[in-house]
This record gives sequence, C-alpha cells and structure tokens, in this order.
Amino acid sequence: MKVAQKLWPWQLLLAAILIVMAAGIYGSVKRIDYEWRWYRVPQYFLYKAEDPIKISDDGIVEKITPAGDTAKVTVNLVDGSRKVLEVEADTIRVEQGEELFIGDTVGYVATWRLGPLLTGLVTTMWISAAASVLGLAIGLIAGLMKISRNYTVSMLAAIYVEIIRGTPLLVQIFIAYFFIGTVFNLDRNVAGIGALALFAGAYVAEIVRAGIQSIPKGQMEAARSLGMSLPQAMTEIILPQALKRILPPLSGQFISLIKDSSLVSVIAITDLTKSGREIITSTFATFEIWLVVAAMYLIVTSLLSQFVFYLERRLAISD
Amino acid sequence: MIRTENVVKIFTGRGAEVRAVDGVTTTVDKGEVVVVIGPSGSGKSTFIRCVNGLESFDSGHVYIDGVDIADRKTNINKIRAEVGMVFQQFNLFPHRTVLENLTLAQRKVRKRKKSAADEKARMLLRKVGIAEKESEYPSRLSGGQQQRVAIARALAMDPKVMLFDEPTSALDPEMVGEVLDVMKQLAREGMTMMVVTHEMGFAREVADRVLFMDMGKIVEEGTPEHFFTAPREERTQLFLKQVL
Repeated sequence: MKVAQKLWPWQLLLAAILIVMAAGIYGSVKRIDYEWRWYRVPQYFLYKAEDPIKISDDGIVEKITPAGDTAKVTVNLVDGSRKVLEVEADTIRVEQGEELFIGDTVGYVATWRLGPLLTGLVTTMWISAAASVLGLAIGLIAGLMKISRNYTVSMLAAIYVEIIRGTPLLVQIFIAYFFIGTVFNLDRNVAGIGALALFAGAYVAEIVRAGIQSIPKGQMEAARSLGMSLPQAMTEIILPQALKRILPPLSGQFISLIKDSSLVSVIAITDLTKSGREIITSTFATFEIWLVVAAMYLIVTSLLSQFVFYLERRLAISD
Repeated sequence: MIRTENVVKIFTGRGAEVRAVDGVTTTVDKGEVVVVIGPSGSGKSTFIRCVNGLESFDSGHVYIDGVDIADRKTNINKIRAEVGMVFQQFNLFPHRTVLENLTLAQRKVRKRKKSAADEKARMLLRKVGIAEKESEYPSRLSGGQQQRVAIARALAMDPKVMLFDEPTSALDPEMVGEVLDVMKQLAREGMTMMVVTHEMGFAREVADRVLFMDMGKIVEEGTPEHFFTAPREERTQLFLKQVL
C-alpha cells in the first residue's frame, strides 16, 4: 500500500501555530505597556564617532577653505610655523582671524566605529575559538589517556573528566578566576579561556574515547600486522576514521561552547552577553537588546552547523 | 621459518578458564604450505594470531626466522613487517583508496619512496587481478575483491611468511574461488604459508601438510593424502565425516 502524504497541510498548520504563538507574545507585551525602541539598537552595531581636533599651540586662524564635506583650516602658530587641520565642514568651531589658545577645538572628524554589540561578538568569537582549539587538544590527549592500558594514565584522565563533568561551568569559571587566577596572577581572559577549554576538553575526551572505540578492532590489528607501531597505527588508521565519525558530536560540543562562553561575562570579560547588559543599563531597552543578542548567537551557531554539514558531506566520499 | 614451542593461551572470563591454545608445537619450513583445520572453537584462529603476536600468549615460544617473539627485547613491529596476515573480515582501511591501502605501510614501515611504493602496489594489484580499481575506496568493492586487495596489501611488504586466518569464511560462495585462486598461485610461487581454513578442497590440493586442531591441541598432523584418506585419530575421522 502506497501512502502519498501531502506536505502542504502540515506546512499550513506549522505556520498557523507559529503565528498564534507570535500573536500571543505580541498581545501579552501590549498589556504590560512596553515601549519598543528598536531605532536605538543600530547605533550599538555601528556608530559614527566624532573626535575633536585640537590645536597644539597658540595661533591665529589664517583661512578656512571648504572642500566638499570637509574643510581645511590653516592656522599660523606663534612659533611662526603654519599648520593645516582637516575637519568636517559642518563642525567648524572657529572663524577666520580668530585667536586660538593651546588646546582649543577647531572642529570634529567623524569615523565609523564598531559598536559594543559587534565588539562583544568579536570577543565571544575569539574566546570560543581559542577555547575550542585548546579544548580539542586537551580532549584528544585525555581521550587517548582514558583508553590507555596503563592504570595510572587512564585513572588520571577519568578523574579529570569526572571532576569537570560533575561541577557547574559557572563555578569552574569562578574558581579559575578567583582562586587559580589569584594564585598564579592570571589575566581574566586567560582564566576565562582556560576554564572553557578545560570544560570542553572533558566532554571532547569522552567523544574521542567513544569514537576510537567505535572503530572495529580489526583495523588496529591490520595496521599492527603490517608492522606499524602503535602511534603510527593511531595517527594513520584509527584517528582519521574516528575523527570523521565524531565530527557531528564534536561540532555540537563546540556550538555549545559558543553559547557557554556567555558565562565568562561574570568575570568581567566584555563578550556579547556582557555588552548587552552594559547597553541595557544605559538604555533600558531590555527586550530589544536581549532579543538582538539571542539572534546574534543564533546566527553564529547556525552558520557553524551549516559549515559542519558541508564538511560531513565532503568527508563522506569514502563511505 | 616458523617454529612454535608449547604455545599456551588461556582466556579467563567469569571465573572460567579456557585453554584456547594448549601446548602447540609445530614448524613451518621455508616454502611450505601448512593448512590448519578443525572445528569452531578449536583454537586454530587464536593459534595463528599468536604466531605474529597479535594475541599475546601465556607461555611457550614462537620463533620467526630464529627470533623469539616472546622475548621482551624483540622488536615485534620488525617481525610483523616480515609476516603478512590476511583476516577473515578483510580489514582494509576504509578511509584510504585501494592504492593507498597498499602503499601506506610500505612508506611508513619500509620507508620506501612514493614512486617505488606505487609501482610495487600496481604490480601486485595486477597480479591479483584488480588493477583497474586502484583509486576506488574499499567500500565500493565486492567481498572477493576486498580480500584480494588485502592479500596484495600484505604482499606489498615483501613478507617471508603469509598467515591466512579463514580468508574465505566471510565471502559469498561465488567469490571464494577468486580468492583461493590467488592463494594457490602464491603457493605455486613458493611462498611460505600458514592457512586456517574450512576449505577442504584447498587443503587437499595445495597443502604440503595439514594440522588438525581440537580443544587447543594438535590432534593429528600429516600430508593431505594421509589426512583425507586414512586419518588415524577418531576425532579426525568424526570431523571429516561431518565436513566432507
């Protein structure tokens, strides 16, 4: 019996549910009388900063020559030299012939700068990236140690994994910063990245161990029967196959790490979350900013999972 | 070439002790083809795996070319490079192409140059009749083709001895022949071989000597003519009656 299922009624139902939920949220927000001020958000991505141009010595304004949006102000200084300053035409604070004193503002120059949301995102990204690389290295080593036949080596790895997985990341970050960081005089970034890397490493270790153990025993036997040493067999035969297999759980772990990195904001690292909180203290645009921050995390994580999906298909050629 | 002395391998599990290999003493001379047969669980696979040290044994000695692999000072990797092994499950490296399967160990263990390794690999692939598949991945090959690649992979190391651990047991019946043909050709070329198999036809046609194992011990040993026509032991007679 062939059952041809039509898709569109279900798509319709999905759309209806989403619309109802959105309407519900909209309705409840209406009732608490929140004033949405989305127009205040873009400036926190990019903004035009105006820097004052000041005079370095006393002098007299000789002439002002406009050139499009900007203007050139020529000043005769008391030491006889001549200075030309370029400022925005509509910000000129001086007139021709005016006498200026050292430190007076001639005008302003505007430049585009990254707002706190984008600088916060950059911080989040590099902290996550650094912690991922470190975490992968730690996890690989701890995973290999865990399957070691040596009791001491495998127990060391097991204890590490148990401790990290049995305590909350937030507490680990506090310990890394306030305890270990104080003892060894660590920078907050080092403490934050270190805590995230150790945390991710414990989970990566378990993933690596499971990946290696999922490769049939015959692979190692075949490699060893050809005269390869254990390290050779590991790096040439077992790990390449295991890494391909663990790519999906591994990428899930790193995507989690990006989200977990928001916790380093508690030790005053200005990542995306902390930036959001700082903006809110000055704007009170609580709803808008948190929604934007969430959307930014979502964009980063979905781009990453798309990339991993692409990688998986590339690696599937030998299947 | 191979000499084993009183090899004992004990498996312990749940308090029970199983003497999988129980004092096996035998030799395989240069150029000789020795076939090991016996019922399932008789320890023949465990025994052949002891010969290249894939299975560690509890007591006894295995000498390959006069070197004792039970000696802790022996570099087992060096010995294994001289002893090719073919497995029941082929165990090709799935992430490498057929050609790379043949060249990897040549380059990493024998330290051959890429050109030399490639040349050797292509020569062997032609020999086992699958030269056209060199850039395929193993998963694209049939079982018989995979096993022939596995034989070529072992031969690429220029081994002095070849061990075969039930090389045709995982194959579809119509593919058994192509693998046995390659093995027969090897035997004719004078390769020293030790073969664990259930293929009685192969044993009768190719073997110089047949070992019959049961309960971890060699029950009977002799030429194929003696073995298949006039077996001495009762256990051997019973086994042959069941399989022939």
